[in-house]
Amino acid sequence: MTAIETRALNKRFGEVHAVSDLDLTVESGEVFGFLGPNGAGKSTTINILLGFLSPSSGSVRVLGKDVTEQSRAVRQRLGLLPEGYEPYPNLTGREHVQSAIHAKGADDDPDRLLERVGLDLDDARRPAKEYSTGMQQRMTLAVSLVGDPDLLIFDEPSSGLDPDGVALLREIIREETERGATVFFSSHILDEVEKVCDRVGILNEGELVALDTIDNLRDQVAAGATVSATLDAVPDPLDVASLDGVRTASVDGTTVTAECTTGPAKMSVLRHLDERAAVEDIATEEASLEALFDQYTGRPEDSGGAASGGSGGTAESTASAESGRPAESTASEESTVASGGESA
Amino acid sequence: MSFTTVLRDDFTNTRRSYVVLGVIGALTAFVALIVHQVADFHEDAFRALVDVSFFFFLVFPLILIPLTYLAVAGDRERGSIKHALGLPNTRAEYVAAKFVSRASVATAAVVVATTVAFLLGLALYTDPVDPLRFVRFAAITALFVASLTAVFVALSTVTSRRSRAMFGVIAAYFVLGPFWFGFLPIVNLQAVVDTVADLLGTSVSEETFGYIQFASPTTAYLGGLEPVYEGVIGTGEYERIDGNYVSDTDALYTNAWYHWLVMTVWGVGALGLAYARFRVAELG
Repeated sequence: MTAIETRALNKRFGEVHAVSDLDLTVESGEVFGFLGPNGAGKSTTINILLGFLSPSSGSVRVLGKDVTEQSRAVRQRLGLLPEGYEPYPNLTGREHVQSAIHAKGADDDPDRLLERVGLDLDDARRPAKEYSTGMQQRMTLAVSLVGDPDLLIFDEPSSGLDPDGVALLREIIREETERGATVFFSSHILDEVEKVCDRVGILNEGELVALDTIDNLRDQVAAGATVSATLDAVPDPLDVASLDGVRTASVDGTTVTAECTTGPAKMSVLRHLDERAAVEDIATEEASLEALFDQYTGRPEDSGGAASGGSGGTAESTASAESGRPAESTASEESTVASGGESA
Repeated sequence: MSFTTVLRDDFTNTRRSYVVLGVIGALTAFVALIVHQVADFHEDAFRALVDVSFFFFLVFPLILIPLTYLAVAGDRERGSIKHALGLPNTRAEYVAAKFVSRASVATAAVVVATTVAFLLGLALYTDPVDPLRFVRFAAITALFVASLTAVFVALSTVTSRRSRAMFGVIAAYFVLGPFWFGFLPIVNLQAVVDTVADLLGTSVSEETFGYIQFASPTTAYLGGLEPVYEGVIGTGEYERIDGNYVSDTDALYTNAWYHWLVMTVWGVGALGLAYARFRVAELG
């Protein structure tokens, strides 16, 4: 079953074409990352999914229902963490959660939800106007979880959260998807998207310019990776640049660095070097989601507009237990290179 | 269930602000002052209600403004509306609950102020005080403030910026109150009607102008208070009461129910039109 399905979705504001012919399918149970620079049309799309805006043309179905006709039924099964939202200043955090429980006719315990999102129960009884951004975000996260929704729409969910809060958010997303919920995750924090999302869609100037898993997107744009090997001595001739899938190769002292356009090319490089010299150390770097984002949106690498949580154009890959994806390691091994038990 | 959710949230949020205290406190203080002052000149407590009603007509709408103008526009500007409408609450329930919440506070202020007026009447006036007159006064005034609250909340509903909402309710107050009543010597409804009639080469009869003049909820409020003075009108006991309610025409506007209808139509109509626009409004 599809959680979200848009067909030829258009939204115009006068002369501005905010969303253009958007065909998007989000399957049930997946964590979908929705990316795009400012003004790309992400918020407009989300507002259409929620029934806050009407499409100019095209169809939108959420949880199998037409949101223009059955918005209330959709919102009954949906949890929302909106961006740019101020809570009611004189209501407590607990009262916001109770409001959602009451509106949905759910039987959740508000205190359990508040504890789950890490909001202290004493703080939860204070007026929301006294909350920090992070506390407000945790409160809204609790509101979104009321009634075990089938679809969670998170718009910039890590905004204002401290590292513990971000980790907790990832944990909650994992728990919710295990329960069977779908998560639609819109964020500028590309590292976060990369860690939690199964697939991503990149919106640029109202058009969907990419839709796939992050790994497939890397392959599609040949963003590949960089592999570096420190050798006991650089062989002559080196002949790395002539290998299939290698874009460029360079030498710095006894360290050879090759830019690869495909993942398998990294192993070819390492085998090639291992046959000709003793490999003392290796490091691999995958193209980050931000680099992919830049390529798809045509954004200059240093133009800002999307944050990578501190990483540059490429990110040193680390194991992602939350996402369940395999570790693409930074390894330091003596002389031999191990990969999946195979000696190179 | 959703209506009560929004109602409870909005009422609780409003109740905890200083606005409620300000509205009830200001109204009660002014009414107490008026009742106290009138006691120096008259022996019947109900006579003070004439001056209190004029205060309600002219000043209470200004006190209502801070209570109402941000009812929806404030939520839209702050984004709080995403909480209410991100939940399975309909836009109709949302607008209705906002109105009921704010009207409840306004009505509570009327009840408190009228009760204080009644108690002061018992203490300060020599003639017996008829509680029924005060009950009728409170009921008709409650209808008036509900009608005006509906107009103000409606204006708040069709705007997404607090500045526009503020301008809208102040303009509505001026047009429907001082302008319509003829409070200002030159800039008033009578002058506009006469000018238009002159331009058209015609004239407006007194009865026709009466219908126009009582078409505002504020002027209808003053006309609709007639039952408060039942048994006194036309006796010559109080010249001002006779001047307000004795008429030699049998036009519909000489009936109290007509004025109640005008106030009801304004309230229902304003909210209905506002909802019709809000139902399809872009809330992004």
